[in-house]
Amino acid sequence: MTSATQTPTIEELESLVGRQFPGGTYAVDPWRVWLTNDVLGSPQRTDGIAHPMFCYYAAMAGLGISIDEMFTLCYASADDGPMFGECDIQQLRPLEVGATYTVKGEITSAIRKDGARTGTFDIVAFQLEVVAPDGEVSSVVSNSFIFPRRPK
Amino acid sequence: MSANPIPSVGDELPRLVIESVDAEKMKTMAALLADSNPIHWDVDTVRELGMGDQPVNQGPNNLGYVMNMLGDWAGGAERIQKIRVRFLDNVFAGDWLEAGGSVTAVGDDGNVECDVWLARDGTHPVLAGTATLLLS
Repeated sequence: MTSATQTPTIEELESLVGRQFPGGTYAVDPWRVWLTNDVLGSPQRTDGIAHPMFCYYAAMAGLGISIDEMFTLCYASADDGPMFGECDIQQLRPLEVGATYTVKGEITSAIRKDGARTGTFDIVAFQLEVVAPDGEVSSVVSNSFIFPRRPK
Repeated sequence: MSANPIPSVGDELPRLVIESVDAEKMKTMAALLADSNPIHWDVDTVRELGMGDQPVNQGPNNLGYVMNMLGDWAGGAERIQKIRVRFLDNVFAGDWLEAGGSVTAVGDDGNVECDVWLARDGTHPVLAGTATLLLS
């Protein structure tokens, strides 16, 4: 387990905006599709179209850094109790079973808020594009994490 | 199953029920996602964290159930153009879930806007959001 981290300054937080991820690739392998459909209770299709959750899986797996590394980048660790904020998935073109997608993206916003009940917390949002082998963007995934911040 | 060809604002979407969230499937998804968080398979960790005595379902699984509900109604999950959700609470192994929604707008271009949700035990919301589907 990593230790809880110190709250970043506003300048440090805002400097995250525009930070690009290394990116990478994600293969929509048939075995992943079968097992995912089984987990989700979805039909096993025979038309080569993957479940739309693969937009999300491809984006997160192709990000190029782990979730723990994402937390570190955002001046946090798992011990700080980060939470999922919002998840926005655009499926521009269904992902195809057997294809390998390229993923690229960056941090799009980083803001600090104060709640009477929740205390200080930061919301860091990022956007990822899932690009098909022909170069077209198949999906755009926008997520945010909420990082509770302890007083210094 | 195909969608009603002319949905109207206020129409309720056919609900999808998950009778009991399966802890074994969480293990499969943890392996698929290389998700190292033990709350998805190690009950001792869940207890130590004061989160109860059942494994916690992966949040994306909960979103997947809502997508299944939309796909059943629309005639295929590939008709989902956009979905935006907030995760409101955890889902645990053994939970009874219901996914549903309602039509909030119908466009001339075949786009349909919906509110969507996932609830535990018929009342407790665990996920809420909006979706856009192309029905024509």
